[in-house]
Amino acid sequence: MTTSPFDSTLERREAGMLGMWAFLATEVLFFGPLFFGYLHGRLTSPEAFVSGSHHMHIVLGTLNTAILMTSSLTMALAVRAAQSGRESLRTYLVITALLGLAFLGIKGSEYGMEASEAAKASGAELQFYFLYFAMTGLHAIHLTIGIGVLAWLWRHARRFGAGDHAPVEVSGLYWHFVDVVWVFLYPMFYLLERYSA
Amino acid sequence: MGYVFTWLALMILLGLTFASSYIAMGPWNTVANTGISCAKALLIAVFFMHLRHAGPLLRIAAVTGVIWLALLFGLSSTDYATRDLSPAPWAKR
Repeated sequence: MTTSPFDSTLERREAGMLGMWAFLATEVLFFGPLFFGYLHGRLTSPEAFVSGSHHMHIVLGTLNTAILMTSSLTMALAVRAAQSGRESLRTYLVITALLGLAFLGIKGSEYGMEASEAAKASGAELQFYFLYFAMTGLHAIHLTIGIGVLAWLWRHARRFGAGDHAPVEVSGLYWHFVDVVWVFLYPMFYLLERYSA
Repeated sequence: MGYVFTWLALMILLGLTFASSYIAMGPWNTVANTGISCAKALLIAVFFMHLRHAGPLLRIAAVTGVIWLALLFGLSSTDYATRDLSPAPWAKR
C-alpha cells in the first residue's frame, strides 16, 4: 500500500481544489498584462479600437459566447454526475467537449475572415488586432488543453465515477475559468459602439 | 435544477449586454458591458465553481488572483498617469 500525505479522501480533495484555485490565480495574472495593454490602447486611441471592433463578426461572437456558457452548464452537470456516481458522466463530458470544439471551429473561421482585415490595418488599429489575436489565441490554447483534459477524463470515467471524483471537479474549475475569461473578452472586442456601425 | 437557472441567468445577461451595445449611452456602454461581465463571472464562480459551498480557504484563494491583478493595474496606471513617455531612440513616433 502506498502512503498518502493526507488523512482522508476529503482532505485530499480539498488540497486538490486549493491547488487548482492557486493555479487559476496565476492564470489571472498571466492574462492580466494583456488586459492592461487593452486598457491602455483603448484609452489612448479609442477611435481605432471602435473601428477595429466594427470588423468583428458580432453574430459569430455572440453565438460562441452562448456555446461556451452552455458548455459550462454541461461541465457542471458532469461534475455532479461524477459526485453521485452516475453513468451520465461520460455523456456530459462528450457534450462539453463537442461544444468546446464547436467554439474553436467558429473561432477558426472568424480568424480566416479577419486575417485579411488585419493585414490592411496599421497604427493603433493594428494594436487592436494584435490584442485581439493574442488574447483570443491564448484563450483558444487554454480551451484546447481543456478539451484534452475532457478526453482524458472520458477514458478514465469508470474510475472517476465512483469514489475518486476529485479529478473531475478540479478539471471543472479549469473549464469554468476559461469560460470566465471569454465572458470578459466578448464585450471588449465585439461590442464597441455597435450603434454607430 | 439550480444549474439550469444559473445558465438561464447567464443567457439573459448575454442578451442584455448584446442589446445594450446598440443603444448609444456614451461611456455608460462600457460600464454596462463591464458590469454585466462581472455579474456573469460571479454567477459562474459562485454556482458552477461551487464557491457557494466552499470553505474559507478556497474562497480566499479564489479572490487572491483578482486582488493582485487590481493592485498591479493600480500601480501600472499610476505610472502611465504621472510619467512622460520617453521612446527609445530607434522607436520614432
